[in-house]
Amino acid sequence: MAEEANFKCLRCGQEFKLPYDPKAGPQERTCPKCRSNSVRRIKEQKK
Amino acid sequence: MMDVGRHPRIKLFVYSEVEDVSGYVGNFKVKVRKKARYVDENECNACAECAKICPVVVPDEFQMGFSSRKAIYIQLPQAVPSAYVLDMNACLGNNPIACGKCVEVCDKKCIDYDMQDQFIDLEVGAIIVASGMDVYDPTELDEFGYTRFDNVITSMEFERLICAGGPTTGHFIRLSDRETPKTIGFVQCVGSRSERRGNRYCSNICCMNTIKDTVLLKDHYPDIEVKVFYMDLRAFGKGFEDLLRRSRSEGVKYIRGIPGEIYEDSKTKNLILDVENTTTGEVEKHELDMLVLSVGVIPRQDGDLIQKLLTLSRTVDGFFMESHPKLKPVDAPTRGVFFAGCSESPKDVKDSVTQASASASRAGILLSSDRIKVEAITSVIDKDKCTSCGICYQACPFKAIVVDRKAKIPAEVIEAACAGCGTCGAECPFGAVTMKHFTDEQIFPQIDAILEENPQDKIVVFACNWCSYQGGDNAGMSRLQYPATGRIIRTMCSGRVDEQFILYAFSKGAPIVLVSGCHFADCHYIDANRWTQKRVEKLWDKLERKGIRPERLQLEWISAAEGQKFAKVMREIEEMRQKVTPEEIEHTKKVLSDWKPKGAKRRPKKAEVKIEA
Ligand code: SF4
Ligand code: SF4
Ligand SMILES: [Zn+2]
Repeated sequence: MAEEANFKCLRCGQEFKLPYDPKAGPQERTCPKCRSNSVRRIKEQKK
Repeated sequence: MMDVGRHPRIKLFVYSEVEDVSGYVGNFKVKVRKKARYVDENECNACAECAKICPVVVPDEFQMGFSSRKAIYIQLPQAVPSAYVLDMNACLGNNPIACGKCVEVCDKKCIDYDMQDQFIDLEVGAIIVASGMDVYDPTELDEFGYTRFDNVITSMEFERLICAGGPTTGHFIRLSDRETPKTIGFVQCVGSRSERRGNRYCSNICCMNTIKDTVLLKDHYPDIEVKVFYMDLRAFGKGFEDLLRRSRSEGVKYIRGIPGEIYEDSKTKNLILDVENTTTGEVEKHELDMLVLSVGVIPRQDGDLIQKLLTLSRTVDGFFMESHPKLKPVDAPTRGVFFAGCSESPKDVKDSVTQASASASRAGILLSSDRIKVEAITSVIDKDKCTSCGICYQACPFKAIVVDRKAKIPAEVIEAACAGCGTCGAECPFGAVTMKHFTDEQIFPQIDAILEENPQDKIVVFACNWCSYQGGDNAGMSRLQYPATGRIIRTMCSGRVDEQFILYAFSKGAPIVLVSGCHFADCHYIDANRWTQKRVEKLWDKLERKGIRPERLQLEWISAAEGQKFAKVMREIEEMRQKVTPEEIEHTKKVLSDWKPKGAKRRPKKAEVKIEA
């Protein structure tokens, strides 16, 4: 299974998981709810 | 092929690989590795004495493993040059020589175990990529029983079995008992047009290949019963429908439905297929002597290497991407590079020949001119501002920049290779790059003009020339309604949209900024829009750190055909704009009040400049 990460749509606010490979380059991402490409990865807070 | 081999002005490098390509249009330097074949190709007269004596027997790849060859062999009867080659991996060994029988029998003394790979440097003006395709391996589609059942073969294997030059000299047999089958089926779209397994695209050639095969079978064996299982038949080309009619009139049965399961009768080795016939809605059983899987084509597995060597880009399917699907269908985005055949997309012989002829003509035009016109829109680097950091070199999708970081020689743009995306300009941290026709001095005033009056009512939209701007145009031409608050600044590529333009717009009171460009697969500058995405992602973090809502920077990929999408995005963003309060805008302006353009900044210390690997 490919690794997944949390993403947030900066258009509609939807949060979701998508496959994520830190080594792969940038990917075209689409919000599953509103189809926007303003999709931001939610990075884990540093402790 | 023979003609090519004999042509006085064509130099053929067989059994060779391209190791390196540098330079640019008109001035490419190519390093070719000519692999050691251990047989002098000029002396060998293909008498075959060596192969006769060679004791090593291995499967013959050309005959799909249906027959065998020796360790010293000729790849195919029509090979050019007509000379033998020694497969050192199969040979009993040359260090020390373990067998040496072939050397003893070769009268012409052309076998040399000490032959080494040679490197040849070429200078060429244009390059045509005709690297072909590979064939889908259907083993993963277990329901078809390929490799489990003797009498299930692929369409490629079928070609060998029916070919006069094949292992059975064209006498068509099934593998379990070497008898000519009385009933045979073809399953279409194996590995093609599937979302789940194999590939999503149509492989283009398999329908016609099967139709041709059925006609061939009926020609050779008029009594054979032939059934074709398909989802759609695509016989769209000149004369194709006629061939399909001929196949039908000769009694070939076309059944609309793909077998769900295939079993083998362990005694007869016949195959039993369960198929839902979608025309009648009935589930049918068919017993066949033999089954051919009409397998799709896939991009070459060494595509990565070719892509890297020539700075090409690929579509999501993995085939090489042309410069423009309609207007420049045989040109690669890298100038001076052209495509022929299936390296660009699956195609049949006729289309491959058409494309190859077009590519040869395009290359010919280029080579016959003393001078070429370069893009007017290229970048120039100010040597005084450049710190030789090399960031622009890394960002340039066309490798059009030379810089020597060690020797601290400032970057320079090779104008003939620069396509004018502007990514270098956006990435240079020192403001050393000027993008002709899209300079900072041209773009900042556009932002000023947009935000001069009532900035709170405006959306600053950066749109790329080829896709998103055209998407906006499309929306307009289709008379689609969308709010008039968006103000567009056109750049050639979204890669040109510098973070400083966005920050400047926010500092001047912009409530929302939209950066838009081509979908990843359509980027006209190979992968320049990946840099846009990276930049926007970094900027979201930066805005958040400064207490500015990252939502105010929007990103969208819109193609020229997506007028609807453009209008929808503008409506959505307008709703967002209305929610940005005057206090929020004031706060942003205050936070960014000390903002200065890049060139005006002090030079960051060396340690502050990070280069991504
Ligand atoms: S990014 Fe700017 S400073 Fe760095 S090498 Fe290129 S032009 Fe020079
Ligand atoms: S404008 Fe684009 S193609 Fe030209 S040098 Fe800069 S990054 Fe390379
Ligand atoms: Zn959304």
